[in-house]
Amino acid sequence: MTTTLTPPDTTVADEPAAGRAAWALVARREVVVKLTDRAFLLGTVFTVVVIAAFMGWQAWDAGRTTTYSVAATAADRSMAERLATDATGVDDTVAVEVTDAADPAAARALVREGDADAWLHRDGGTWVLTTDSEEEDALTGVTREVVRQAALEQQASDLGTTAEQLQAGSTVTTSLLTGDAERAGLASGIAFAFAFLFYIATLTFGITLANSVVEEKQSRIVEIIATSIPVRQLLVGKIIGNSALAIAQMVLFAAVGLVGLSLTPYSSFVTAVSGPVVWFLVFFVAGFVALAALWAVAGALASRTEEVQSTATPLTMLVMAVFFGSLFLDGAAKVVVSYLPPFSAVLMPTRLLEGTAQWWEALVALALLLVAAGAVVRVAERLYRRSLLQTGGKLSMRQAWSAPE
Amino acid sequence: MLEITDLTRRFGDVTAVDGVSFDVRDGILTGFVGGNGAGKTTTMRMVMGVLGIDAGEVRWGGRPVTAADQRRFGYMPEERGLYPKQRVVDQLVYLGQLKGMDAAGARRAAEEHLERFGLAERSRDRLQELSLGNQQRVQVVAALLHRPKALVLDEPFSGLDPTAVDSMADLLREHASTGVPVLFSSHQLDLVERLCDRLVILSRGRVVASGDADELRSRGPVRYRLALDRDAGWVREVRGIHVVDVDGPTALVEVVDDGAEQVVLREAAARGGVREFSPVRPALSDIYREVAA
Repeated sequence: MTTTLTPPDTTVADEPAAGRAAWALVARREVVVKLTDRAFLLGTVFTVVVIAAFMGWQAWDAGRTTTYSVAATAADRSMAERLATDATGVDDTVAVEVTDAADPAAARALVREGDADAWLHRDGGTWVLTTDSEEEDALTGVTREVVRQAALEQQASDLGTTAEQLQAGSTVTTSLLTGDAERAGLASGIAFAFAFLFYIATLTFGITLANSVVEEKQSRIVEIIATSIPVRQLLVGKIIGNSALAIAQMVLFAAVGLVGLSLTPYSSFVTAVSGPVVWFLVFFVAGFVALAALWAVAGALASRTEEVQSTATPLTMLVMAVFFGSLFLDGAAKVVVSYLPPFSAVLMPTRLLEGTAQWWEALVALALLLVAAGAVVRVAERLYRRSLLQTGGKLSMRQAWSAPE
Repeated sequence: MLEITDLTRRFGDVTAVDGVSFDVRDGILTGFVGGNGAGKTTTMRMVMGVLGIDAGEVRWGGRPVTAADQRRFGYMPEERGLYPKQRVVDQLVYLGQLKGMDAAGARRAAEEHLERFGLAERSRDRLQELSLGNQQRVQVVAALLHRPKALVLDEPFSGLDPTAVDSMADLLREHASTGVPVLFSSHQLDLVERLCDRLVILSRGRVVASGDADELRSRGPVRYRLALDRDAGWVREVRGIHVVDVDGPTALVEVVDDGAEQVVLREAAARGGVREFSPVRPALSDIYREVAA
């Protein structure tokens, strides 16, 4: 023995961390443990790489030009030449080069063997684009436009006028319409991405949280903790620690996604979607806290890790319902459910993104979600406190609710 | 002082702890003895406030114990387990902080205690990398770290090797010597006998005996050992005693009528060749068997 003990140090132990600071200690431990967990770090890095790769592919795919080889016999060569010259002007992702064919049979052979993507030829009064087994939509669109323009010019000159004069007053601008459609498509893509992120995050962090609760229970360290700090502080610390991690991870993914988006042709929408993305995060915080409290209860109801799967089943179903609800609900049902916690966590920001909800609707839904989260945390605290120290097997909600303390 | 009065706990139809009363006095090691299912763990969990009490009460310093009091106690639960994947020193600091220590103080205390158990160089290891015995020592450190005002330890010696048992015993004595009441449970009666100033024996949820070790022993049967030069078979003829055993020249007799041992001694002296005549202190295990039977 090298040291001797002094009497209990009253200045140290007289004020146990029973008060406000205890939850912060618990939350910090949850965060530190997770941040030093290799599996968690690798998983996060992997997801970031997948998002970055997906956005990068989108950017590259949208920007790249496909060069088509079009076969033509001498008789049709002039039209093919014109196609080669004008194609990129019509669609900047399409380029055309002409491959000479001696006769129709040779042209067919070129297409069949893949040496040419299509054979352009005249059949009576129409032009035909022959491809092997599937249509080349981009090339067809460009060809249609070029041929139409060429025919128009020919007929205009036959009539002694110009194509411009013939077409005067007949043009229809479609740009605005196109912009909206693109934005709607983008909105549904982003909404899906966020619904999926929420689903994955609530599920993975939820299960982690439930497991960490039952592990503490199983190893009885919870008995040491429960004699050190109030159980409420333990629950709040665990919810806050895990929620903070989940939100931080989601912010990271969203940031990578937005940076990626700015590199794609959709970059003009970054500012437009940034606002709704912030809404998503705000709703997620409230939704996640409510669900985290329930996951903690699912953990506390079990006595062994193996039992978590069954005590968490209702919760897993709820999380899946939120996800699929956000995908498939439509019309009035979507509007109604977008106020209903926890569905509102995903549906309301989705509607904001689509531009079908007003800001005050978001505030109402958020208020409802916060009230629900508060209520759930209170109920969860009672269930958690009462079931945490029961170790005789799996508990039902009813047993936990009425268990003696 | 911890006073436990009429403590009762039922699980369904089973009364696990039935009107248990005893004191855990300041500055003294109190051993809590009993077989499996005797109610030791249930009692300790009620004392620590992690299990509800059906009847009776626990008092600390003359008034009903509060959660704030229990937070200043040191507790080692029956089933062991801290966080297997966390580094030893990190989780000790965490548990110390939960008990209200500051981070630096908790770290100092953790390192000091690990040093005592020869675990200083393992402090950065993850708990699961330690042997079970060493994990047990860490568990003990977790209970002692914050210099508790009372210690409640459920089977602190189980799983320890003899060296660790000794250093653990020293540690408990030291804590007791600072005026802290220490209650610990054990199956190992010889250890309890060696260590404890006071004993509480529990059987089927009831206290069947309590008091200091000598007091308990004096309640046992009074026995004498007689060793002679020649055969001791004649003791069977003496009245007022019960012959426990005769083996050639030695005999073990139990006094039934007061003073009967003097008759035996006179008879032996008359026959000559007395080599030994001595009272036999009953071992605690004998007492235990008797009261717990």
